[in-house]
Amino acid sequence: MAIVGAKGWTTRIRKFPARSASFYVGETIIWILLIAMAIIEVAPIMWMFSTSLRNPSESFELPPDFLPTSWRWDNYLAVIKSEKINFPLFFWNSLKIALIVMGAQLLTCSLAAFAFARLRFPGRDALFFLFLASMMVPSQVTTVPIFIIIRILHLMDTHWALILPSMTSAFGVFLLRQFFMTLPEELMDAAKIDGAGFFRIYWRIMLPLVGPGLSALGVFTFLWSWNNFYGPLLFLRSWDKLTFPLALVTLQGYMGMGNRAHVLAGIMMSIFPVLVFFLLAQRFVIRGIALTGLKA
Amino acid sequence: MAQTSVDRARRTAIIGRSLAGGAMRTWVQEAIAGYLFVTPAVLLLTIFLIIPILASVVLVFTEYSLLTPPRWIGLENLQRLLGDKRMFICYRNSLYITFGATALNNILGLLLAMGVNRKMPGILRYILRTALFFPVLTTTASLAVVWRFILTQDRGILNYLLQQIGLEPVPWLSSARWAIPSVILYDVWKSCGYLMVLYLAGLQGIPDVLYEAAKIDGANRWQLTRYITLPLITPTAFFCIVISLIGAFQIFDNAYVLTEGGPGDASRTIAMYIYEMAFKRYEMGYASAVALSLFVILVGLTLFQIWASRKWVHYE
Repeated sequence: MAIVGAKGWTTRIRKFPARSASFYVGETIIWILLIAMAIIEVAPIMWMFSTSLRNPSESFELPPDFLPTSWRWDNYLAVIKSEKINFPLFFWNSLKIALIVMGAQLLTCSLAAFAFARLRFPGRDALFFLFLASMMVPSQVTTVPIFIIIRILHLMDTHWALILPSMTSAFGVFLLRQFFMTLPEELMDAAKIDGAGFFRIYWRIMLPLVGPGLSALGVFTFLWSWNNFYGPLLFLRSWDKLTFPLALVTLQGYMGMGNRAHVLAGIMMSIFPVLVFFLLAQRFVIRGIALTGLKA
Repeated sequence: MAQTSVDRARRTAIIGRSLAGGAMRTWVQEAIAGYLFVTPAVLLLTIFLIIPILASVVLVFTEYSLLTPPRWIGLENLQRLLGDKRMFICYRNSLYITFGATALNNILGLLLAMGVNRKMPGILRYILRTALFFPVLTTTASLAVVWRFILTQDRGILNYLLQQIGLEPVPWLSSARWAIPSVILYDVWKSCGYLMVLYLAGLQGIPDVLYEAAKIDGANRWQLTRYITLPLITPTAFFCIVISLIGAFQIFDNAYVLTEGGPGDASRTIAMYIYEMAFKRYEMGYASAVALSLFVILVGLTLFQIWASRKWVHYE
């Protein structure tokens, strides 16, 4: 503690001479940049929110609102209750697929990651290297054959076409393996000596200790699936199977020319769950990204 | 206490058993368990990753429209690649987007990270971070719809604001000149917060001791940035640049919704071209050839960066 005191003392001494005019100029520039960027990042979302609450016939009017001037919540109701576009169904489709994909990835990736990190079996390292190498291949290369496989399996225009290929990922295995590797070897030996089976060791001892890794993978798998546009675009055809992003883009072509407020109300509803989640778990999402370099 | 002595007895028994020749059995058990644990992941990855990769290499040598069985055509697809003018236009567009977006995202990401990573009230930091980061979590395709409304020439928000400050309206989405800058603008809006978070993690990894020591030696703020922050952030920057290049090269959603590749092919990315070949024209063989060329280019680009990194990345 004495050192901290000393540090505070030295900085207090130096504070005054260090703050020249250029210090304030630099500080001002940084703050202007920060605030300007924050406004630029938020403005489109605020505009969307405000316009979604306008009277639909005024949704093209200029000047634009960045803060709501009217509160037509019935736009949201109109979108939800619309006869032509079944919004609750799209919401449910997206949610269902995202939850299944997330659950499946957490299970398959953690099982494999535990084995790659903590069990010894012939061919383990070769297998792991194969997965690692396959992570380098861009998705454009694999989508054409996956499309053909889905056709052969007669899964076109079903949600399985989106779920099956995403039920595991080389990245998830790799990420969780890193977490299992950090756990002490003694833990495993102690459990073995206590006579625990391998599944029990995985489920009861190791899995609870890699919580941060699991939650990072879970959050990002969910968001990835929720935001996925390319997959549904390839595999889904019928109107009642569409997921949120695809339905919104289609909706925009369908009624975007006539009714901007309704389209924007639809988009607001699709980002609302994400917004709430992020406001509650911001620190945690950001740590997950910093930890993994993974993009939602 | 009785419990413990039972445990101890059991433990001794197990150790005894494994010493008395059970070691072999546990080894086999462990191997079997290992295979069982990896089976779900291995099975799925084989079907949906390994086989597709191998299949696409085979498809390159075929003509396949899904309706008739694949026909072996040897190197024809590869020859066609070399003379495909549209493909080169799409590659040029993708390169333009990639370098524009990577440069802007990384510069802004680093500046914002340095801005947020300073002393300020906790609540202010929370608001700034939320505002700067939130677009990252939103759906690329849906927000592109919003940006279409913002960028349209007539009654677009951005043009309205430009006119308010006395500038000419810009045909953001409808002119060949501005289509790609619009795609880049949208991508930077959407992604710079993501790079900010990565750079922030890098900045927080720089030990405070170095700054303290330099301050005692009388270094000013510019010197702290130039001789401590910048050299020590280079490993983070290397990682960020590699992943943003790879990501930007594969941009699809942004341009697909924002400009639909137009006008003409002016903003068609290589990912959109592959999509068109495979799923609009059903030329599976040729689409695979283009996709593999993209893979080769990405590997080349990454290897080049790893080679170049020796010249500018400082590792402790």
